[in-house]
Amino acid sequence: MADDYREDDVVEEEEELDEAPRPSADPKRQSYESPATAALKCAYHLMQQRIISNPRDMIGVLLYGTKQSKFYDEDENSRGDLTYPNCYLFTDLNIPSAHEVLELRSLVQDEENAKKILEPSNEPVSMANLLFCVNQIFTLKAPNFLSRRLFIVTDNDNPHGDNKSFRSAATVRAKDLYDLGVTIELFPISQIEHEFDTSKFYDDIIYKASPNDPDAPAYLKPDAKMNDAQDGISLLNGLLSSINSRSVPRRAQFSNMSLELGPNFKISVSGYILFKRQESARSCYVWLGGEKPQIAKGVTTQIADDSARTIEKWEIKKAYKFGGDQVCFTPEEQKSLKDFGEPVIRIIGFKPLSTLPFWANIKHPLFIYPTEEDYVGSTRVFSALYQKLLRDQKVALVWYIARKAASPVLGAMMAGEEKVDENGIQKIPPGMWIIPLPFADDVRQNPETALQVAPEPLIDQMRTVIQQLQLPKGVYDPQKYPNPSLQWHYRILQALALDEDVPEKPDDKTIPKYRQIDKRAGGYVLDWADELEKQYAKITADQPKSTTLAKRPAKADNPDKAAPPAKKVKAEAGSGNIQDEVQKHFEQHTLSKLTVATLRDFLASQGRATAGKKAELLERVEELLETKF
Amino acid sequence: MADKEATVYIVDVGKSMGERRNGRDLTDLEWAMKYVWDCITNTVATGRKTAMLGVIGLKTDGTDNELGDESHFSHISVLSEIKQFLMSDIRELGERIKPSSVDKGDAISALILAIQMIITHCKKLKWKRKIVLITNGLGRMNSENLDDIVSKVKEDNIELIILDLTGRRGPDFDDAEYGIKEEDKDPHKASNETLLRTITERCDGVFGTLEQAVEETEIPRVKPVRPVASFKGFLQLGNPEEYDTAVRIPVERYPRTMVAKPPTASQFVLRSDLAAGQEGPVSSTAVPETQPEDGSNLTNVRNLRTYQVSDESAPGGKIDVERDDLAKGYEYGRTAVHISETDENITRLETTAAMELVGFIQSERYDRYMHLSNTHIIIANRANDKASLALSSFIHALFELESYAVARLVTKENKPPTLVLLAPSIEPDYECLLEVQLPFAEDVRTYRFPPLDHVVTVSGKVVTQHRNLPNDDLLDAMDKYVDSMELKGTDEDGDLVNTPFPIDDSFSPVLHRVNAAIRSRAIHPNDPIPPPARILTQFSQPPEHLLKNAERHLKRLIEVADVKKVPPKAKGRKRAREPEKPLSGLDVDSLLHQEKRVRISPNNAIPEFKQTLAQAENIETMKDAVKQMRSILEDQIRHSLGDANYDRVTEGLGVVREELIAYEEPGLYNDLIRKLKEALLKEKLGGDQRELWWLLKRSKLGLIEQRESELSEVTEEEAKKFMSA
Repeated sequence: MADDYREDDVVEEEEELDEAPRPSADPKRQSYESPATAALKCAYHLMQQRIISNPRDMIGVLLYGTKQSKFYDEDENSRGDLTYPNCYLFTDLNIPSAHEVLELRSLVQDEENAKKILEPSNEPVSMANLLFCVNQIFTLKAPNFLSRRLFIVTDNDNPHGDNKSFRSAATVRAKDLYDLGVTIELFPISQIEHEFDTSKFYDDIIYKASPNDPDAPAYLKPDAKMNDAQDGISLLNGLLSSINSRSVPRRAQFSNMSLELGPNFKISVSGYILFKRQESARSCYVWLGGEKPQIAKGVTTQIADDSARTIEKWEIKKAYKFGGDQVCFTPEEQKSLKDFGEPVIRIIGFKPLSTLPFWANIKHPLFIYPTEEDYVGSTRVFSALYQKLLRDQKVALVWYIARKAASPVLGAMMAGEEKVDENGIQKIPPGMWIIPLPFADDVRQNPETALQVAPEPLIDQMRTVIQQLQLPKGVYDPQKYPNPSLQWHYRILQALALDEDVPEKPDDKTIPKYRQIDKRAGGYVLDWADELEKQYAKITADQPKSTTLAKRPAKADNPDKAAPPAKKVKAEAGSGNIQDEVQKHFEQHTLSKLTVATLRDFLASQGRATAGKKAELLERVEELLETKF
Repeated sequence: MADKEATVYIVDVGKSMGERRNGRDLTDLEWAMKYVWDCITNTVATGRKTAMLGVIGLKTDGTDNELGDESHFSHISVLSEIKQFLMSDIRELGERIKPSSVDKGDAISALILAIQMIITHCKKLKWKRKIVLITNGLGRMNSENLDDIVSKVKEDNIELIILDLTGRRGPDFDDAEYGIKEEDKDPHKASNETLLRTITERCDGVFGTLEQAVEETEIPRVKPVRPVASFKGFLQLGNPEEYDTAVRIPVERYPRTMVAKPPTASQFVLRSDLAAGQEGPVSSTAVPETQPEDGSNLTNVRNLRTYQVSDESAPGGKIDVERDDLAKGYEYGRTAVHISETDENITRLETTAAMELVGFIQSERYDRYMHLSNTHIIIANRANDKASLALSSFIHALFELESYAVARLVTKENKPPTLVLLAPSIEPDYECLLEVQLPFAEDVRTYRFPPLDHVVTVSGKVVTQHRNLPNDDLLDAMDKYVDSMELKGTDEDGDLVNTPFPIDDSFSPVLHRVNAAIRSRAIHPNDPIPPPARILTQFSQPPEHLLKNAERHLKRLIEVADVKKVPPKAKGRKRAREPEKPLSGLDVDSLLHQEKRVRISPNNAIPEFKQTLAQAENIETMKDAVKQMRSILEDQIRHSLGDANYDRVTEGLGVVREELIAYEEPGLYNDLIRKLKEALLKEKLGGDQRELWWLLKRSKLGLIEQRESELSEVTEEEAKKFMSA
């Protein structure tokens, strides 16, 4: 079976931290965050996040500079010398289990427990030894993974001072790691009186290119230095944002694709997906017959419908259903149907960005960035094109075939500028985006509807409302809105896995800030609603009744059903409102007298499901009215 | 549900239809059928039971129709009654549509017969009725009872289309305006034509030429989809349950774009009785030598799903478990979390359907590439003037403020919420909001890339002149080239104007190609598939005129860009390469030299193997390193508990293979893998380790062949053979 092959895109990380918490000047101050606990919090955060985003990735946590030592079955109490003194393998490299998440959390939160493990050693740890320890962990636990990374969080920029032999031993062990295919990522923490200086030691052990992705342009711009200043929160935030930005190894959708600018003029680019809807993992079957719950793996066998005999893959023929029968093609023909040439991104011409309609979209975009692998000079040509498109706000129309036999796509290629956050860390990289366009077949026609254009005074009122409710800086920042259903799903799973109480209420950042909306725009909304009533009265007076009635579908004859877009006070004042009617029947226990249509309309107006039989609808309405009104 | 449809095709199959004219390869009948088949297969492709059609042959040798007793109706045959057409009907019709040996038969009578068929079939019910008559206009036509025909057609609301085969577009045909006649015309032809034209005009039908009709079939047909609301509810500002200042506008949401997928092939196998016959010894009874793949001998494939869990004690390490013994659950990390039936929805976020406004943003500060999904439109609840008025004020206000709205959308109770962006769209006769999904925090991957307009060096210096940055010449050449390649249309005065993106005339290539191929195969099972229609690939190359326009700019661009293709061999060759250095540029290799690593240590094998090769001064050192690696790997295999060390071995072999390709010593690896394979298959390395060989095969760690390394002596076939055992 091919699909049980382990994904080769697994990452591992090790958090290392140096230095135990230093005593704070004022022990009572809660906001103080030591570098060690900040780093641990990051590790905890990362572990939780990774379970959601990359459930197959392994993570381990190794502490160093600790008084205690632990490495698999070795610790202080074991006989003989310790192989890796002052290294504490807190979480072994593996896909994290719920238990391990809990352990790490208790280390972050439980100070007593933390103090014991985090007690600093008296002697400096040998970096060479540490790096070899890491080497062994990777060799044993993740020998055959595509991406292996080591995250080092430390505030000590010169662990070995002038000791030459220690230093050179460390550089040799670092080269070993590099040759093994492990990338080191450093997260330096500066102190108030001391700026972290990478040239003192770390520049000797960190390599420019990743051994697995040698052509990937290195991102050399150093992160804004994190300061262990008084404000612990900012240290944590800085570290989090820095680790987040490097948490996922860059994974190309395709590498070294030709970008054809004109006949006989190609450069090479790689493509990446930077935006894509993250879905929660699918549910699976769990077998409870054993000692502990186990995930059951589904195996599919294919059988012939007529005789139920098991069939082999080679026997299977593909055919299209047509007119109650099957139309067959040979596998070669089948292939040729999808063949529209070699993979390529070909520029067909250019157009102003403003001519790209808002609605012309079908899915997430693709990000492309030049590589020098196939064509030397690609980067400068790409850069020239990028600058031109950005300056003149143009897009290229491109014909794009992603893989061999992939469906051709027409796309709009636009340039996107680099964006950085308040810590100076890159949020959106500079490069070009290919936006897949719909074909004529993908465009749906707008349904017919009667148009009522709003008169100026009504628009003016609405404008005022909108002006009150700008998002910060007038931009949408995805980072501010975690996916509420995804977070809730994993929050509950975590609680179940750890046998904790299930939280009551989700933390949903997407729910509008009702209080603020009322405070800032409430008055203007009322003005607008008044104006709406006025204008509406005008229209109804102007319109001869017969024509509108004739054109409306039967449903709309009942004025109750079109819930008026007015504030609630008004809605309730109006006679025959559906809500009042249902409420009245509810109080008199005569709900069952209402028609199914009325019940559905009522439920729909409350955003509830409207499917089901009358009895179910009644139940739902009652439940709603009991709790709400 | 689409309306019921009934169409009758009347096809002239007279003797004269067997001729080839106007330099065509096809006979007139074949040409006419090109159109008819296109129509029929289009109907069949819908798979609709209510899309029916019938076919009448005109000028057939015999007579076969219910009115056939009258002489008017001789030489007219109903080839197919009105019904849902299936493959068998297509085959049957294919057999029967052949040129006859007569030229007798009255087109008008055939028309009457078709009307009769429709009346009988549709009665007075709601049907879309249609008659298509294709004739070369020869032969006698009876012009009596025209009024009756016209009134019937009108009364039953039948759409009448008459296609003249001999007609050609342009002035050379009997176009009323030009009046030029073909020389060798049948004496009746002119009057027939006038007759047919009159009928269509009086019935509000269409009289056209076949040429036109066939041409039109080449433009892919876009299947219209009836709009179905994907959400009906309220656009809300504020919370109406808590605040009196909240607003709700009843709205409906419809898809604006939705990808039309090509039909998918299903899986079939030969019927078991046939398959058994094939496998067995060739029986004496006549088995057709080559069975036509017409689908009738195929049967469906069904999927059977069984479940397994790992169990150390069981043979093979796995045991089957019953589906009924399994609970639903999820993975949290490597922990399995099961969910009891009573809490089935415990992980689902409770929501109520609504579109709630979150806030507003400036449209110019939104980046178009954040669009994450297909798009929808939002309109006011239909037939609700007040809602329409309210939404219109919202749309106009957004437009005037150059703003977009961000809203939280839940389309149905307990569906996950999405954040959507709402943009105003105002056309003279249509107003709506356009909606697209926005990314959440989890949907953004932060891969980082260096800037494109300057270079930051290792030491942190910012450089603006660099081989990776364009110089002024390149910038200028690019500027001119891009400008010269602007896609523009021309207006009536021949001036260049900005045209919209070519969405309306770009057709999904795969969708239409597959559809066309299926239809072609259905009618002509033995013909090769025709090539894709040209219109499908019209946007695969820049337009000719544009290229001509841009030619000199492109030439200059290529010159100043000075892009060089990397020869394939140079990739990944190692011998001459600089050793990798850390950021500081420290020469680690010399440190390694000092270390004097003589033997490759098994617990640090990969790095030390690489380093040994990097420092090797002669082939003997390399050979020795490979030998050491081999014994390390063999040890790992020997001491592997079950498959515990298999991943390490795979990785180690992979590195050896890669390095030896890079150092151009494929022979050393090939030697190693040959010996290893033999040892594995002969169980010389501690018992049955076949599974490892299977794993190595899957990891593609076989012989290095010539394609991978020029110095290899192993051919492709040899490598394949090696792997197959």
